[in-house]
Amino acid sequence: MAGVLAMAGCAKDSGGDGNQAAGEGGGGEPGSCVTNEAPAAPEGNGEEQTTEHGDIDASDHKIGLAFDVGGRGDASFNDAAAAGVDRAVEDFGAEKGSESPAAGSESEAAKEQRLRQMAEQGNNPIIAVGFAYAEAVGKVAPQYPDTEFALVDDNSVDEKNVTPLVFAEEEGSFLAGVAAAYKTSECQVGFVGGVQTPLIQKFQAGFEQGVKAAGGDNIEVKSEYLTPAGDISGFNDPAKANVKSKSMISQGSDVLFHAAGASGQGVFEAAAEGDALGIGVDSDQYKQKTLADVKDVIVTSMLKKVDVAVYDYIAAVADGNPDDLPERFDLSVDGVGYSKSNPDIEDITEELEGYKKAIVDGDVEVSETPEG
Amino acid sequence: MINWRTALLPPALAIIFAMLLSSVALLISGANPLEAFATMGAQLFHGNTAVSTVNLAIVYYLAGLAAAIGFQMNVFNIGVEGQYRFAAVVAAIVGAWMELPPVLHVIAILVVAMFSGALYALLPALLKVYRGVSEVITTIMLNSIVFGIVAFLINPEQFGVLHGNNLSTAEIAPSGRIPGIPLGEAGTLFGFIVIAGALGYGYWFMLTRTRFGFELKASGESKTAAAAGGVSARKMTLAAMLLSGAVAGLVAMPELLGRDYVYAMTATQGYGFTGLAVALLGRNHPAGIAFGALLWAFLDRSAVSLESIGIPSEIATIMQGTIVLSVVVAYEIVRRADLAAEQRRVGRAGRNGQPAGVAEGGAV
Amino acid sequence: MTEPEPVVELTGITKRFPGVVANSDVHLTVRAGEVHAVCGENGAGKSTLMKILYGMQQPDEGTISVGGQVVELRNPQDAIRAGIGMVHQHFMLADNLTVRENVLLGAEGRHGMGRKARAELTKLAERTGLHADPDTLVENLGVADRQRVEIVKVLYRGARIVILDEPTAVLVPQEVDALFETVREMRSDGYTFIFISHKLDEVRSIADEVTVIRRGTTVGTVDPATVTSRELAEMMVGSELPSPETRESTVTDRPVLRISGLRLDADDSERAVLDDVSLTVRAGEILGIAGVEGNGQTELVETVMGMRKASAGTVELASGDGELRDITRLGTLARREAGIGYIAEDRHRHGLLLRQPLWSNRILGYQTRKPVSNGRLIDPGAARRDTERVVEEYDVRTPGVEVLAGALSGGNQQKLIVGRELSGEPVLLIAAHPTRGVDVGAQALIWEQMRAARHDGLAVLLVSADLDELIGLSDTIRVMLRGRLVSEADPATVTPTELGSAMTGAGEEAA
Repeated sequence: MAGVLAMAGCAKDSGGDGNQAAGEGGGGEPGSCVTNEAPAAPEGNGEEQTTEHGDIDASDHKIGLAFDVGGRGDASFNDAAAAGVDRAVEDFGAEKGSESPAAGSESEAAKEQRLRQMAEQGNNPIIAVGFAYAEAVGKVAPQYPDTEFALVDDNSVDEKNVTPLVFAEEEGSFLAGVAAAYKTSECQVGFVGGVQTPLIQKFQAGFEQGVKAAGGDNIEVKSEYLTPAGDISGFNDPAKANVKSKSMISQGSDVLFHAAGASGQGVFEAAAEGDALGIGVDSDQYKQKTLADVKDVIVTSMLKKVDVAVYDYIAAVADGNPDDLPERFDLSVDGVGYSKSNPDIEDITEELEGYKKAIVDGDVEVSETPEG
Repeated sequence: MINWRTALLPPALAIIFAMLLSSVALLISGANPLEAFATMGAQLFHGNTAVSTVNLAIVYYLAGLAAAIGFQMNVFNIGVEGQYRFAAVVAAIVGAWMELPPVLHVIAILVVAMFSGALYALLPALLKVYRGVSEVITTIMLNSIVFGIVAFLINPEQFGVLHGNNLSTAEIAPSGRIPGIPLGEAGTLFGFIVIAGALGYGYWFMLTRTRFGFELKASGESKTAAAAGGVSARKMTLAAMLLSGAVAGLVAMPELLGRDYVYAMTATQGYGFTGLAVALLGRNHPAGIAFGALLWAFLDRSAVSLESIGIPSEIATIMQGTIVLSVVVAYEIVRRADLAAEQRRVGRAGRNGQPAGVAEGGAV
Repeated sequence: MTEPEPVVELTGITKRFPGVVANSDVHLTVRAGEVHAVCGENGAGKSTLMKILYGMQQPDEGTISVGGQVVELRNPQDAIRAGIGMVHQHFMLADNLTVRENVLLGAEGRHGMGRKARAELTKLAERTGLHADPDTLVENLGVADRQRVEIVKVLYRGARIVILDEPTAVLVPQEVDALFETVREMRSDGYTFIFISHKLDEVRSIADEVTVIRRGTTVGTVDPATVTSRELAEMMVGSELPSPETRESTVTDRPVLRISGLRLDADDSERAVLDDVSLTVRAGEILGIAGVEGNGQTELVETVMGMRKASAGTVELASGDGELRDITRLGTLARREAGIGYIAEDRHRHGLLLRQPLWSNRILGYQTRKPVSNGRLIDPGAARRDTERVVEEYDVRTPGVEVLAGALSGGNQQKLIVGRELSGEPVLLIAAHPTRGVDVGAQALIWEQMRAARHDGLAVLLVSADLDELIGLSDTIRVMLRGRLVSEADPATVTPTELGSAMTGAGEEAA
C-alpha cells in the first residue's frame, strides 16, 4: 500500500510547475515546454525538392572513393558517400573505380599515397571523404590537374580541380533542436557528441539554438562529448555513449540528439530503456537496419545529405561544370534537413517547416559555434 | 657483437615465416600471394613510395631509439606515445610563437621538444624510482591523458587555429623549418634524416664508448652486479627514462618541421607503439632499429598498395604482427643454441676438457 | 630398539646446471618419525636437493622413493600427493588474506570450505601451537606465527613429511625454542621432519640424525648425540683441502682500513645487524672474519663497500699518502676508486654480467679508470687487451675474451673476478668467500694470487666459511657472532676446532 502511495506522489511531483498535464503517466504533454510560437509554415508544406539531372552520361568516368576511418558499412557518412556513388553509377552509367578505407592510425603519407594511386589508376573524379584528407588532397590535386577531386566536409583547399562538399550542419541541427523542444516533457534535452571537434560542435551549436528558439529559457540543454579532439574512438564507442546517455536520462533529459557516428546506437538503446526519445544524425536512422530494434525511439533524424552532394557532384563533373554546385549544402538546397519517416513526428512538422522557412528566408540566423 | 649468425638469422627466419603465414591468409581469402608480394615489391619503384617509405621510417627510427634506450635499462617505456605527442604539441606551439633566425629557430624547437618529452617522462620515472610504481601502468595512463592535453592546447581558445573543420596549432615560420632533400619526381626526403642518423650514431657511441652507456647496460642486465660495481640503479633508471622521453620528444619533429609545420587534431597517432615493436625487431641495436623501421614502414606502405589490387590491407598488419612475434621467438632460440655451443667451446678450451663441477673440489 | 622403516630415500641423486654440478651422487635416508637434519654451507647444494625432493626440479640421475615406492616427482603437487610438504625460508603467504583463507586456498578439495574445514584447521592449529585467530589477516601476524601458518598449510594438505628450510633464520632465540618444542611434540605424533640448517648448535639440539652435504655431495650421516660441533664443522667445511698456509708475516704497522663503532640496523626493525664493529686492517695483512653464516658478515662487507648505509660509526681508508680518510659518506664507486677491490660473495648476483663478454666484465667497477676508461669514455680495445692479460695471468680457461661470462665455469669466472679486482692497484681487497664453489685448481691459484698481493703490501679483509682457508691465509682472525666481533684468534696456533666453538658462541674465547 505504502508503495502505491509513494508512486502516486512521485507521479504528481514530476508533473511539474502546476502544468496541467500531470495526469498522464509521469510526464508533461509533448509541447508543454515550448514557450515561443513557431514561424508560419509555407504553403504546400513539406514536399521534397530533388534536383533533376536530365540525361547525364557519366560512362567515361571512373569514380574513386577514399573513405575516412570506418569505410563502407559505418552506417554514417562513409556509407552516405558510397550510396551517392552507387546511385550515380546506376543513374549515369559511371564506372565504379577504387574504393579504400583509411586505417585507424594511418599516416598523412598513406592518405597521399592512396589518392595518388587512385589518380594513376585513372579514377576521375576522386572523392575524399572527411576533412582528414584536406592536407593530402591539397598536396596531390595540383600534381594531377586533369583529375577532379571532391573533398567532403572541408573547404580549406584552394585548388582549381578541388570541389569542396560542405554542409550547414548547424541548420539541420537547429531543426533537430526544435523537434526536441516540442517532444520533451521534462523540459530538459541532451546532446551527445562523439568527438569534441569543430565539426561536431556545429551540430551542438545548431541544436542548442533550435531548442532555445522554441523553448526559450524554459528548456535546459545538456551537451556532452565522448572523447576530446584527436581521440576518434568517440565515434565508435556505443558502450561509452550508452553510459553517458543513461546518466543524462537519469538527470532528467528525455530527448537526446547524437552526433556520434556509430556510437549513436548506445544513445538509442539508453533512450529505449529509459523511456526517452532519440534523434538520429546524418542519415534517416529510423530506417537503418542495424537500429531496427530501437527505431521507435528515433523520432526523427537530422539529415546531412552527403549522398545527395556526392550524387550531384558526379553529375556536375559529367556535365563539366562542378563549379556550379552550391558553395555550401544548406537548408535552402536541401543539403541538410530532417526525416519524417517516423509517424510520431507528424504532429509537429508544421512547426518544423515554419522554422525551416525562416532559416531559408534569412529570418533566423544559425551560428556555427556553440555559446560559451 | 660481431656474431652475424646470431644477429641476422632470427630476423630472416621471422620474415620468411611471416611471408608463409600471410600467404596462407591470402590463399584463404582467395588472393594470389605471388601477386601480392610482387605488388609490395613493385611499390618501391613506383612514384614516390620509396621516398615516403624512408620518410616514415625516419619517424619510426626515432620512436625505436626512444624505446630502445628504455629497454637497455629494463624500463618498458610504453609512454613513448604520450611523450612524443605532448612534445609535438608543445614544440609546435612554442615554435610558432618564437621568432628566431633560421638555424637557431630549428635548434630551439628541437630543444623544446626534447625537454617536453623528458618532462612527460619525469613523473613515471620518479614514481618508479622512489615508489616502485611500474612504469608500464603510469605511462599508459599518461598516454591516455595526452589526448586531453592536446585537445585542450589546440583549442582556438588556447593556442589553436581553425581551418576548415580541422584544428591545429599556428604555423611555424619558415625559419623554423628543416628543408627537405628534393629527389625530383620521387619526392622529397625529410632533411631530418641527417639528425636521425646522427642520433643513431650518438646512441651507438653512448652505448659502446661511454661510461654512461656501459653503466646503463650493466644496470639493465643486473642491478645487483652494477651496484657492486658502483652504479646506482635509481640514477640509471631515472636517466634512462628521461633520455628515452627526450628522444621520444623528437619523434614528431621530421613531420612537424619538414612537412606539416603545424600539429593538428588529425595528426597521426601510434608512432610510439610502433617504436616499441621496431626496437624489439632491431634488438636495440642502432642498425637493427634502422632495419626494423624500414621494414615496418615498407609494410605500412604495402597496406595501401595492396588496396589497389583489391587485397585487404590487413594482410600487412598480419605480417607485422607475425614478424614481431617470430623474431622474438627466433632470437631466443638462437641465443640459447649459441650459449650452449659456447659452453661446449669453453669446455674444450679448458685443459681438462670439461667445465669443472663443484664436486671436483676435493671433497671427502 | 629396532630402526623404523625409511620413509624417504634418495639414491645417487645428481643434478647438473650449465657450468656446474649442483648435486653429485647424493644419498639420503630419512626414517619415519625422526627429525633429520641436512647440514652444509651455503652453496653446498642443500636447496637444490630439497627442490628435487619437493618436485620443483628433476634430478638428472638417481631415484627417489617414498614409503618404499620409487616415485617420480615432476612438480610440488606430486610431492604433496606423496605426503611431502615444504615450509620455505621465505614464506609463501598472502598478507591480505586471513589465516583460514591462506590455509584453505588451493586445498578446498580436501575438507571443503565449511565446518569440516574449520574443525580440521582448529585441530592442526592446536597441534602446531598456532594460537592466532583463524580470521586474523596474515599481515597482522608476527614472523613466528606466520611460520606456523605455513606449517599448518602444509599439514592441511596431508603432508606427513615436512621439509623445514632454514626455519630458524628468521626467529629470535625464544621463538626457536618454541618451534623446537612443537617439532618434538609433532615428532611423537608420528610426523617426520627434514630440517635444513647450517647452525650446528641447533642441529645438535633438535636432530635425531644429521646428513652433511659438502660441495654438492653427501659426506656422511651421523648421530648428533655422538659427534661434537667441531666434528660436524669439520665435515661441513672439510679439512683435507690443499693447504692455504701463508706464514712469514708481511704485516706492516700502516693501517689501510679502520672501522670504528660501525652499526647497521635491519631494514624493517630496530634490531642491529651489525653492532659496534671496530677493526683495523694494515698493509700486508690479511684479516680473516670467521663466523657461522648469517651473523652479519655479508652486511659488514656490503657496508664497507658502500652498498648499505651504516646507521652509525665510521669507515676510514688510507689514501695515496698513507693518511686515513673518512669514506663513510662515499658511494660504492668512489670507494672503489679510492682503492678497494671487491670479490663478492655471490659472483652471479654481484660479480658478473653473465650476458656480457669477458672484456665487458673487466670494465665493471672500473668504468672510470685506466686502462679501460678515461673517466667518461670507455676504451673497448684497451679493455679487450687487458682482459687478455688477465686471462693469461690468472689462467682463465676460455677460447677468447668475446665469450659471454655466463658460459665460463664457476672457477674460471672467479679467476676472472680475482684478476679484475687485483688489476686496479687496490690498497684494500675485500674478499668474501673467494673460493666458494670453485674447483681445487682455481682455489690454489686464487690463494696464490692473494698471497702474492699481500706480499706487495695489499690489505685484505677476508670473509670465509672455510676454516682452513681462514686459518691458512689470515694473519689475524676475528670471530663474528650476531653482528658483533666477539673474539680474536691467532691463526698460527688456533685449530679449526677452537675456531668452530668460538663461532657457535659455545666455547670459551679462543686464545
